Amino acid sequence: MVDIRRISTNRWWNKKNNWGLFIFLLFLFFVRISKGSLYKDFYFLVSRPFWPGQFQREVLTKSVEQEFLIRLKQLEKDNKRLREILSLQRLSDSESISANVISRKTGSFWRHIILNKGVKDGVEIGSFVVGPGGLLGRVDNTSLFTSTVKLLTSPESKVGVWVERIQMHGLLVGSGNDYPKVIFYNKDVDIKVGDFVLSSPASTLLPPNIPIGIIQSVDEEFKAKKTANILLLGKPQAIDWVQILKVEI
Amino acid sequence: MGNYFKKKLSFISFLFIPIVYFWDPNWLEFLGVQPYWPLFWLLPWSMIYGSFDGLIIGLSLGLILDSLSHDSSFTQIPGLVLCGLWFGKLSISKNSFVGHFRFGLICAFASVFCGSLYFFQILIKYWSADTYFLYLPSIKNIFAQVFITGLLAPLLCSLLFRLFQRSKGRDKLISFINK
Repeated sequence: MVDIRRISTNRWWNKKNNWGLFIFLLFLFFVRISKGSLYKDFYFLVSRPFWPGQFQREVLTKSVEQEFLIRLKQLEKDNKRLREILSLQRLSDSESISANVISRKTGSFWRHIILNKGVKDGVEIGSFVVGPGGLLGRVDNTSLFTSTVKLLTSPESKVGVWVERIQMHGLLVGSGNDYPKVIFYNKDVDIKVGDFVLSSPASTLLPPNIPIGIIQSVDEEFKAKKTANILLLGKPQAIDWVQILKVEI
Repeated sequence: MGNYFKKKLSFISFLFIPIVYFWDPNWLEFLGVQPYWPLFWLLPWSMIYGSFDGLIIGLSLGLILDSLSHDSSFTQIPGLVLCGLWFGKLSISKNSFVGHFRFGLICAFASVFCGSLYFFQILIKYWSADTYFLYLPSIKNIFAQVFITGLLAPLLCSLLFRLFQRSKGRDKLISFINK
């Protein structure tokens, strides 16, 4: 009788530690599967009292002016072109969603920002995000209250762009620092420092002609490719408010 | 209740690492790069609980941080697992005294190691596409991270080390081997 009782108390499910370990492993599994959405939503609630104010105008005025100049020039050209072409990719008719940046990783190898709008507010994966200055990135992941935006500077970001002056397409690749690079698959391309870089009209991911940056320097050609460093107009390390826009293709 | 929190301090603080990872205050930046937060927790914890526990908790940390960082092609797990293993070797049971500034040195080395492993993953991925040279400037991130991690480690690691030692009642939930 005593032996039976001893065996039954020695079963693994009767040990408190094993249950603790099991719950811990279950927790790890849940975090992995949910891609940390529980953490992000918790962070949303915890960080709420500390969200930034709206006093950034002085810092960002310069970027905004540059953005308006590029937009104006581009709109004039678009007006002419649209008289000839009728169907183009266009922005969704629904309103854009304004969001606040609640967490940012803009240094190191991990480059993303977390916004305080999520599935509950109608944010979808693949929507693009613009701030004062121009394009910042695309929504990569959403949770109930938050959405994560992969920045253009992230090593995994690749976006089709074009240089407006020479009407040449290229690929904007994040290089893990503040200056992403554009690759042109043509070594004879005539790019110059100061050329404006916009989202490509041929892109299926982004709407055309959103300002992205200015060519800062041009590298030596390498294996029939030409690359250039881009100075981004949108500054994710300083921006606190952004717009999330859906694209209709 | 207070006693319970003291006893479970290491586990509770583990759950808050991702929150610190999200918080990432701007005023702790060096050249736009912030310290590698998980090392500050992993070093004192592994020193107290040993190599095997360090390895397991390094793996757990890696899993959580990979889930949060959204870089599907690259992982932080190898760096954190090996660091957990290494930190455990510096266990206090071996009576080797680790001073405040040695915490900084160890964390700086660990940061070089983790940063380099991550950087090599990026290089290897893009080696075949002949675009690896685009990522070479990001080596700056490693050096900046090493500096800021090494600078903060003496303060944070010493503090956590003392707290974990006080709550050393061997939290069985995350102590994977019975000694």
